[in-house]
Amino acid sequence: MAPRRVVITGLGVISALGLDLAANWKALCQGRPAIRPLEGVDGSRVGLKMQNAAQVRGFDPLKHFEGGKDAQLDRFAQFSVVAARQALRDSGVELTAELREQTAIICGSAVGGQSAIEAGFEDLWVNGRGRVHPLTIPKTMANAGASHIAMDLGLSGPAFTISTACSSANHAIGQAFRMVRDAEVEMALTGGAEAFFNVGMLKAWEAMRVISPDTCRPFSKDRKGMILGEGGAMMILEPLETAQARGAKIYGEVCGCGMTADAHHLTQPTVEGPARAMRAALREAGLAPEAIGYINAHGTGTPGNDPVESRAIRAVFGPHADKIGVSSTKSMHGHALGAAGALEAVATLLVLCKGTLPPTANFTERDPECDLDYIPNQARKAEVGAALSNSFAFGGLNAVVAFRAAPRGSGSP
Amino acid sequence: MPDPVAEKVIATLASVKRIPADTITLDTNLQEMGIDSLDVFSLLFELENAFKISIPDDDVRSIKTVNDIVEGVKKLLAAAPPETSMGSASPAS
Repeated sequence: MAPRRVVITGLGVISALGLDLAANWKALCQGRPAIRPLEGVDGSRVGLKMQNAAQVRGFDPLKHFEGGKDAQLDRFAQFSVVAARQALRDSGVELTAELREQTAIICGSAVGGQSAIEAGFEDLWVNGRGRVHPLTIPKTMANAGASHIAMDLGLSGPAFTISTACSSANHAIGQAFRMVRDAEVEMALTGGAEAFFNVGMLKAWEAMRVISPDTCRPFSKDRKGMILGEGGAMMILEPLETAQARGAKIYGEVCGCGMTADAHHLTQPTVEGPARAMRAALREAGLAPEAIGYINAHGTGTPGNDPVESRAIRAVFGPHADKIGVSSTKSMHGHALGAAGALEAVATLLVLCKGTLPPTANFTERDPECDLDYIPNQARKAEVGAALSNSFAFGGLNAVVAFRAAPRGSGSP
Repeated sequence: MPDPVAEKVIATLASVKRIPADTITLDTNLQEMGIDSLDVFSLLFELENAFKISIPDDDVRSIKTVNDIVEGVKKLLAAAPPETSMGSASPAS
C-alpha cells in the first residue's frame, strides 16, 4: 500500500501573540512582536536581571476548567488542553468510538510542569513547610499535557510526550506525521506546549548567557540573544483522502521530517547537523530544494545560532537559498522551547494557505555572517508551494518538518 | 452556634472545588458533589496547612461526608497540639 498523504485540518494556538489562531495570524501578518516587560515573576530577591519576555497575557484558566480542575493542571498542561480543544473544534472532525481509539496524541514539551515543582520546592526550602502539594508530581510530569488532552477529549489511542528541548514539538509533529502516514492511526493530535516562567527556570536560563537584555533580533548584526516565550499549539493530522471525503478545509500537508544529532557539543550548533536534517526532510517529502519558497528558521537571535543556521541553509540550497524567504517568528512570539516548533508550524501554514510570509521583526542591520533574505520587519505576499520549519535543540538534536500547500481543489481555511 | 472547624472545612472545600460555600453542608456527600481522589488530596493538604495537623492515611479512607472530615479534624486537634511551622517530620504523613 502506498504511504498515505497527511494533511492538517485543524489548528489551535495560544501564544504571547494571542489566545487563538486568528489573533496569532493577525499579529504575524502585522510583524507585531509580543515582547514586553516580564510580569508575574518576582526575582528581585535573587537578582534576576531578565527584563523582557513573550508571555501569554489574558489567559484565564477558570474560563476553560470548571470545578477546581484548573488547579490539577500546570499552566503548560492548560495550554495543551485548550489548544487541543481549539484544534479539534476547528477541524470539524466528528469523533466516533472507533476514531477515538485510533487517534494518537503526540505532544512536545521541553520542561513540562517546572512551575509546579518549583512551587513545591519553594514551600520546602524557602517557606520552611514540611509538606509539598500532593499534585506536585502529576502536575510536573512532562506527559501531563498529553494525558489531560486524552482525558478531556476522550482520545484513547497511542499518546506520549517527546522531550528534546527546543526541538520537542518538531519531533512530535514528525512522529505523528509518520504514524498517520503509515496507517498506525487514523488521526493524530500533535504539537507542543510550554510554560516555565518561574524564578528558578529564568535564573537557569540567565546563567547560560543567551538571553537578550532587550529584545530578540534574529539574524540582525546587533542581536544579543533570545527572548523566552511560552504557549501551546496543537494541530489535527489526518489522511488526505479522509479529509477530502468529509470536505474538510486543509491548511497544508506535512510531507517530511528530518531528524539528526550533531554528536558534537551541548550548546554549540554545527552546520552539518542542521543541514543533514533539512536534506532528510526534503528527501522524505520528495521535494527538490528548488521547491522550497519559505523557511521558518530556528532563528533564536543568539550570536551562535544565526550564522550557523544561515550557513546550513546555504549548504543545502546553494544559489536557490537567495530565492527563499527565511524568517524567525521567535522575534515576535519569543522562544517557547518545546512549543516553539508548534507555534512555528502555525506560522509556516500561514505562508502556505494565505500566501503571507511573516517577517523577522526587530531587524535593524545586516550581518555579513547572515547573508540570506530574512524578510526584515514587514510581511510579504508570495505564493509558496512548499516550506520547511527548523528546530535545533540544545544537546545538538535537530528536527526539520517539511510542509506543502494543500492540494488544489481542497477546501481552503 | 457557629462551628469554626466546620466553617473552615467548608470554606476550604469550596475553594478547592471553586464553588460557593453556601452550597455545602455537613451532610454533603463528597462523591455526590463530584470530589475525586485528587480533590481529596488537595483538600487534605489545605486542611493540614490550615489547622497545622497531620492527617494519617488510614483516616482518609473512611471519609464520605463533610461531617466526617470535620469530626476527623476535631479528633486530631484534640489529640495533639498543633504542629510547628515545620509540619510533621513523619515520612508516613
